[in-house]
Amino acid sequence: MKKNHNRWSSIPEFLEEIQTYNQIVGISKIARRYFAMNAFDGVLTTIGVLVGNYLAGVRDLSIPIQIGIATSIAMGISGLWGAYLTESAERQRELANLEKISLIDQSETSIGRASRFAVIVVSVVDGLAPALAAFIVLIPLFLGSWINNPILSYSLAGGIALLLLFGLGLFLGKVSEKSLIGYGFKTLLAGILAIAINFLLGAE
Amino acid sequence: MDKGNLRRIVLDVLKPLEPDIVDLVRKISTLSGVDGVNITIYEIDHHVENAKITVEGEQLSYQDLKDMIVENGGAVHSIDEVAAGKRTVEEVVTHQD
Repeated sequence: MKKNHNRWSSIPEFLEEIQTYNQIVGISKIARRYFAMNAFDGVLTTIGVLVGNYLAGVRDLSIPIQIGIATSIAMGISGLWGAYLTESAERQRELANLEKISLIDQSETSIGRASRFAVIVVSVVDGLAPALAAFIVLIPLFLGSWINNPILSYSLAGGIALLLLFGLGLFLGKVSEKSLIGYGFKTLLAGILAIAINFLLGAE
Repeated sequence: MDKGNLRRIVLDVLKPLEPDIVDLVRKISTLSGVDGVNITIYEIDHHVENAKITVEGEQLSYQDLKDMIVENGGAVHSIDEVAAGKRTVEEVVTHQD
């Protein structure tokens, strides 16, 4: 009898296996949540970096760029580590519960493999989302020599940050199947609030 | 050595809710020799469910069927019915039944 259920030997088989893993542990749902949450973190942190540098009178854009890159790397590693540790702990607990009920070792079953795969996917998403969001916000600063006006670069970066926040809100609105615009404005408000508080504190 | 033509296997299985029985029944149906499969759930718990799995075909392999169930997180509680030979013999009702 053919034993084709343990390993995949072609791309369609691999994709089918991924689909099974997704069905078993709901990877896409968790990854989506982590993506939105951490991209949001990434954008707001970068807003902080931008406003801080602007208010401190930094007009040499290489400084906020270096701080921004360092911050996004730190956020990426924080996301990767944090998600890996929390997700693997959570998955191991769930697997142990299932093993206790079913009385069989689940580590080498499709459920065990799906759990390990979920930990990897979620960790990568959690690590990449804030770093990627921060890099997108920093684009006008990277193009600083071309824009040739630091204030305009800061403003454009701020505009991109607010647009990203609004986009994340739309994404969450789509996930919740409720008001897209409503969610968009809620996330946008967070960005505006962060900028406003920073400016108020900076003005003192 | 002729191992005998196993034609029907009925198992009592405890399995996790995911992968669900739609997925499992499809996978079992791909095993060689299988003509048809039926999975019936008779009890559902919080994380697991009890299923009666009936497989019919020609030259069935109990080991491969068991491997498939274990691979999908299930455990075989008992083998409730088997039939083998040139034709499938149904259970006979006797006066004692």
